[in-house]
Amino acid sequence: MFAPYPEWRRGCGAWLCLTLLPFARAAAPVSDDTAAAWQLMADHLVRDAYVRLDQVKGPPSREQDFAQAVVAVDYQPVTQARLHEAEATFAALAAGHDELAEAAAYMQARLYQVHFQQLDYPRAAALYRALAERHPESHWAQLGLVKLGLLLLYALPEPSVPAERIGAATALLARIHEEKLQRDLHLQIARAGTFYDQPLDSVLAHLIEVNRIGGLVGQAPEDLAVELGELSLRAGHYAQARGYFEAYLRDFVPNLRSVTVRRRLEDLAALEAKAKGLRP
Amino acid sequence: MRRLRAKLGLALLVGAYAGALYWVLTRSEPVIHRREVTIYFAHWQIERGPPDGINAAIKRYEELNPRVHVVQLQIPGATIYPQWMRSNLAGETGPDLMEWGAWLPGQKDIPARYFAPLTAELAKPNPYNRGTSQEKIPWQDTFHDKLLAPKRDSPDPGQIYAVNITESTLRLFCNVELMKEILGRVVVPKNFDDLRKIFAQVQDYSRRTGRTIHGLAGSRDTTRSVAQSVILAPLLGVNQRLDDGGTLYLYNRQVLAAYLAGRWRYSEPAVRAGLQLVRETTNAMKPGFIQLRRDDAMIEFLRGQALFFFYGTWDATSLRRLASFKIQPMKLMQAMPDDPEVGRYVVGQGGEGMGETSLSMYLNKTSRHPAEALDFLKFLTSVPGQQLFTDASLWLPAVNGAVVPEAIRNFRDYQEGISFGQAPYDMIGTEVGMNWDRNFYRLSGENGSAEKFAAALDAEMPAAVRQDLKAELRATLVLVKPQDPVIVGWAGLTGDKARIRREESEAAQTMSEGLALQMKLQLESAK
Repeated sequence: MFAPYPEWRRGCGAWLCLTLLPFARAAAPVSDDTAAAWQLMADHLVRDAYVRLDQVKGPPSREQDFAQAVVAVDYQPVTQARLHEAEATFAALAAGHDELAEAAAYMQARLYQVHFQQLDYPRAAALYRALAERHPESHWAQLGLVKLGLLLLYALPEPSVPAERIGAATALLARIHEEKLQRDLHLQIARAGTFYDQPLDSVLAHLIEVNRIGGLVGQAPEDLAVELGELSLRAGHYAQARGYFEAYLRDFVPNLRSVTVRRRLEDLAALEAKAKGLRP
Repeated sequence: MRRLRAKLGLALLVGAYAGALYWVLTRSEPVIHRREVTIYFAHWQIERGPPDGINAAIKRYEELNPRVHVVQLQIPGATIYPQWMRSNLAGETGPDLMEWGAWLPGQKDIPARYFAPLTAELAKPNPYNRGTSQEKIPWQDTFHDKLLAPKRDSPDPGQIYAVNITESTLRLFCNVELMKEILGRVVVPKNFDDLRKIFAQVQDYSRRTGRTIHGLAGSRDTTRSVAQSVILAPLLGVNQRLDDGGTLYLYNRQVLAAYLAGRWRYSEPAVRAGLQLVRETTNAMKPGFIQLRRDDAMIEFLRGQALFFFYGTWDATSLRRLASFKIQPMKLMQAMPDDPEVGRYVVGQGGEGMGETSLSMYLNKTSRHPAEALDFLKFLTSVPGQQLFTDASLWLPAVNGAVVPEAIRNFRDYQEGISFGQAPYDMIGTEVGMNWDRNFYRLSGENGSAEKFAAALDAEMPAAVRQDLKAELRATLVLVKPQDPVIVGWAGLTGDKARIRREESEAAQTMSEGLALQMKLQLESAK
């Protein structure tokens, strides 16, 4: 139509570009903004994540709905009404068949385990179990099993006997295939073992597994290294205790506990000598 | 008349011009500041020393970086700093670099909300260490303790949010001239019994001469430190007994829970022996010390009215600059198994740690000049920066390679021994501390005794301990709940870094959650 008027054609092209640019920009940020919101959440900046998600125009995607509900969980001041709205969103999303549904189901259980003012451990446990039944290999189901383990160890009314609590949590290990999550549950079972004064050998078995998998950060690896040595010593496994104590002194920067560990090595030598019927 | 007016006008004009010229040349600020970037460095170390040390480093840094100006903000600590910090951070007007401490009450959320992690930068060598013994060594590993406290206090395990500027410990500062006057020579106490004998001699000297001299300068603040040091030795056996997990370290929550479960009492013999040592020490202070503050104790010492002043090495520079006499820092030795009074409860030599670095500086997430702020932090914690800091402040450096000035070399001479962490039984919680202070008059003075104090504490502590354990539980949950969005956030991102950070956050959250559930159970079962 504009063939006879090349300058009009150029002008219209430029006009079209300028007119469509805002639409293109409006369309693009949907995923960009959600990705930015994930990053802000990961950086503890939930308020900024909320603002970012609020700026997205048009009908929200499932991912945006989920992100918005997750943000609400820690948006200060947290209100019960907002948490209930978030739960409704999680429940609706959990009915789907994608990874988002798995994550939403996990978050729904978390609300009952730690976020609501009135916690409901049996309900949280039921939700974790349902998620693990429905998507056994999902990361969120696997993480949910670790959290279910915690509930079994300390919070659910049944089983009530410590050894049975530990047995029930230990049974979950076979269903967890992600090694790092296995490690986390092993560690919790071991900690519950000392908390409930269970036989040291059973505690040590879990701690040794935690040590084998490795990868803990912060103060935990140091605590673990000392625990392995000290509990081995208390259980009478002197050679094993020596190995762990020596590894501790080798692997960690000298600090408050180093001298205590060296002193325990001296105690250990005396115990070994006594066991052999020798004088220390 | 008109000519006179014209001359007057001209004279006024010349006068005004000359005045303006004089002002511009001598008084005025440049219209445009020469340095284009200004960064603000805020801390509460307003004692004598650190401001000078930081100024010395700033001066050199500004010579090396002509576009950057560094302003040191000295904010009084304790009561003002936390509120000042919180309001400025919330209003996004906070300085670029800020001091923060994990012990500040009600401020645990600050690092995660407002500070930027430095982990990635700490893995690289500090460029200001070029040509020094620390060249090519990752920044984190140049610190004397590889940043133990910032690792321990991090809201995200695996991330490090701060770097430390110095290292400190507690010391007994002795007025050398007064000691020679009283004892005839300088006597360095080798154990608690030696100190006990010195206190007795001071009391005797004071009585004989009629001069008011006490063994130890007294105040509520310094009493806390003294009590926490001397009480430990008889408690080592109790600590061992309470260490169910075998970590050879007790956290406050464990000591609180054990008290609730009836596993230890203030009136049990070993704890009472520790209280007896506190009584002996505070009896060397002047009456009414519990109403006084640290500065009062310092004045008493500086006036020559007390032989010793016991507090942190952070006060050493102030003491040196203000005292008219020679000061010798000494270690406060703990009771040993051969102690005539409490030896039967002491299972070995107590230790005072191996030197942890402190004065943690954080980078504000909303800093307008994060690159420059980080660069200054690198300079301040480099070997040359730390040398300037330590020489001018007489505070210990935090990094390896800086030469420790002769005057403070013995601050690093730590007493090796058994230690179970920071659970001295008087400060295991806010309520416990308040009860301790409120009843302290039952321990010290002529009418006080360890028995009376212990009985009063055991009558009041169960409620206080319960409150403090609840506070510990709340503080743990404060860490647990916000981790859910963090974990989901990392899961929404791709790449190995995001996966690793997610796994670390999951592990940390599960650990904190396990502890919270244990505390909840302990509170319920002790009803």
